[in-house]
Amino acid sequence: MGSMGNRKALEMVRSMPRVSFVNIRDNPGSKKQKKIRGQGGSRGGESGRGRSGKSKRDTRPPIGYEGGTTPFYLRIPMFPFYKNFATRRQYIPVSLEKLQHLIDMGRIDPEEPIDVTSFVHAGAVRINVFDRVYGIHLTDEGADKFVAPVNLEVQWTSELSIAAVERSGGTISLGYYDPQSLDILSHPLQFFRRGQPIPKRLLPPKDLVDMYTDPSKRGYLSDPNQIKENRLLLAQKFGYELPDLTKGSRRALHR
Amino acid sequence: MFSRVLQRVCRQSYVNNQNVQYVLPVCRGCIASRFSSSEVADGSKDSATSPAFNHGSESLVLEREVACPPHLQKPQAWLESLETRESKKLAIVDLHPDVFGTFPRLDILHRNIEWQKVYKIIDVRKEKTRAECSGGGRKPWRQKGTGRARHGSIRSPIWLKGGKAHPPRGGRTYWYVLPAPIRAWGLRIAMSIKHAQDNLCIVDSLDIPSSDPQYLEDIAKERYWGESVLFVDDKPLEEMSENFMDAINKIKTYNIISTEGLNCYSLLKHETIVMTLDAVNFLELRLMFFTKQYGSPDLRQDLPILRSQLKMDPHRGRSYSSKE
Repeated sequence: MGSMGNRKALEMVRSMPRVSFVNIRDNPGSKKQKKIRGQGGSRGGESGRGRSGKSKRDTRPPIGYEGGTTPFYLRIPMFPFYKNFATRRQYIPVSLEKLQHLIDMGRIDPEEPIDVTSFVHAGAVRINVFDRVYGIHLTDEGADKFVAPVNLEVQWTSELSIAAVERSGGTISLGYYDPQSLDILSHPLQFFRRGQPIPKRLLPPKDLVDMYTDPSKRGYLSDPNQIKENRLLLAQKFGYELPDLTKGSRRALHR
Repeated sequence: MFSRVLQRVCRQSYVNNQNVQYVLPVCRGCIASRFSSSEVADGSKDSATSPAFNHGSESLVLEREVACPPHLQKPQAWLESLETRESKKLAIVDLHPDVFGTFPRLDILHRNIEWQKVYKIIDVRKEKTRAECSGGGRKPWRQKGTGRARHGSIRSPIWLKGGKAHPPRGGRTYWYVLPAPIRAWGLRIAMSIKHAQDNLCIVDSLDIPSSDPQYLEDIAKERYWGESVLFVDDKPLEEMSENFMDAINKIKTYNIISTEGLNCYSLLKHETIVMTLDAVNFLELRLMFFTKQYGSPDLRQDLPILRSQLKMDPHRGRSYSSKE
C-alpha cells in the first residue's frame, strides 16, 4: 500500500475483473514492429530506386558529392579538434557537495580513509579503466557547505577544494594509480577472487610528475614539510583558521 | 475501539463476514508473542465454551515486524486457519507494502508470463536446403536458345519442390534469462494484485484434520475460494503434511507449491492463493533483497562478501529494524 498512488491503483484493480492471462499486455511501443519485406513494407519492391534505367542498376555517388566540384566537406581545412582524443586521460568528477551528501547519507564513512574504493562502493562513480579513466577529480562545487573532516585521496583537484577540505579539519592528497592498479583499487574483491599476486603500483608518467611532486597540489610524492607550509599559506590566502591536526580524536589518522 | 478496528478490517475482506466466528482475543491467548501452529491447532476448542476475552489487554494485530519505513501504510490481511470447516479468523497480519501493496505494473507481469512461456521452447523443426534435396546437380537446359528462363538447378528455392533458402535447422531455442530483479518484481506485483482482488488467504499452517479431499472442497466453498486454489508453504514438498498431500493429490485444480517454485504463471493461473505465514515471512525477506542491490552489476557480487566477511554494510544507517 505504501504511498497514496499505489493505494489508488490497487483500489482500481480491485474493482476490475480478475487479472489473468487474457487481460495483461506489454506497454505500447515496447515491441518494435518486425521489418516487412516486399510490396507490403516500406522501401519494399523497387526499394526506392524507381523503374529500370541507369539510376536503378548502377551504384550511386557518395554522400556530399556535388557533381564534380570540390564538396563542402573537403573545402573546409581540417582542425585537430579531436587529435589524440582517444588517448587523453579522463578523471570522473565528484563535487564536494556530492561527497558531503554521501557522508550524510551514511554511504561513505568519514572515520575511515576515503579513496577511489570508497567512492565506487558507495555507488557514486563507476570506474572503467578501458575508457582511459585515471581516477577521480574532486570539483569545488559545494565548497562553502563542506564541513566533514575527511582523510581523502583523489587524482585531480583544485586549490579551492583543497582549502575546503583542510578548513573542515581533514587532509587531502593526490595519488597516481596506473590503469591496472586503478582497476584493482576500484574492484578489489573481484581482483582477490582471481588469485593473482598484487602488481607493482607504477610511478606517474613524465607529464604528470610535476603535479604529483607539487606540495601546493598535495601530491603524494612531495615533501611533507613543504605540504605543512603550504597548508598554512592556503589558510592565509583564503582566510580561515587552520585546524590543529595533532590534537583531537582523529590524531591517529593524520600521523 | 474494537468495533472501529473491525469496521476497517471488514472493508478489506468483504464476503466472509456473515459466516465468520471472531475468535480473536481467545486465540491470542494461545498465540503469545510468536505465532506457532501447534499452539493454536486445538481445533476441539469451541469459541462458545471458551472463557470470556479481555477487551483492550491484547491487540488484534499480530506482533510481526515489517522492515519498512514506519510512516508507510501497511496492507493488512486476516490470519485464518484450516483446522475447522468454519472460517476462523485468528489475527490481523501487517504486510510489507512493497511486497503486498506495490504498484500493479501489468506490463512487468506480462514480461514475466511471456518469459515463463517462451524460454523453455525448443523448436526441432528442420527443413531441407537446396543441397539436401535429392537431385538438382545438373543444369536443366542450356543457358541460351531455348526461350525459357535460365536456371542452374531444379532444386533452387524459386522452383517448386526446391530447397528452402533460409530454413529452420533443427534445434532453435527461445531461451533467455529475465533479470532476477524483474522476476522478483513480477512476484511482488502478482501478490499485490491477488491481495487487492481478495484472492489471497493467509493461514497459520496447512495442517488439516483429515485427508478427505471433500474437507478441502467444503472449506473452499465456505470461504468462496473459487475453482482453483494454489497453496504456498515455505517447506520442501517432502516435509509437508501427509494428510494435506493426500487430499490435494485427488483434486485436480488444487495445487501445492513450495516458495522455491513460486512463479507468476502459477499465481495468475489459480484463482485463490492460500499462503502460510512462514511463506509470507520468507517472501518478504527474499523479494526485498532485489530492491536493495547495487546499480552496477560488477558490484552486486561483492555485496554478500562485504556483509558477511568484511562486516561492511553500505546500507548502514538505513535499516528499519528496531534491533539495530
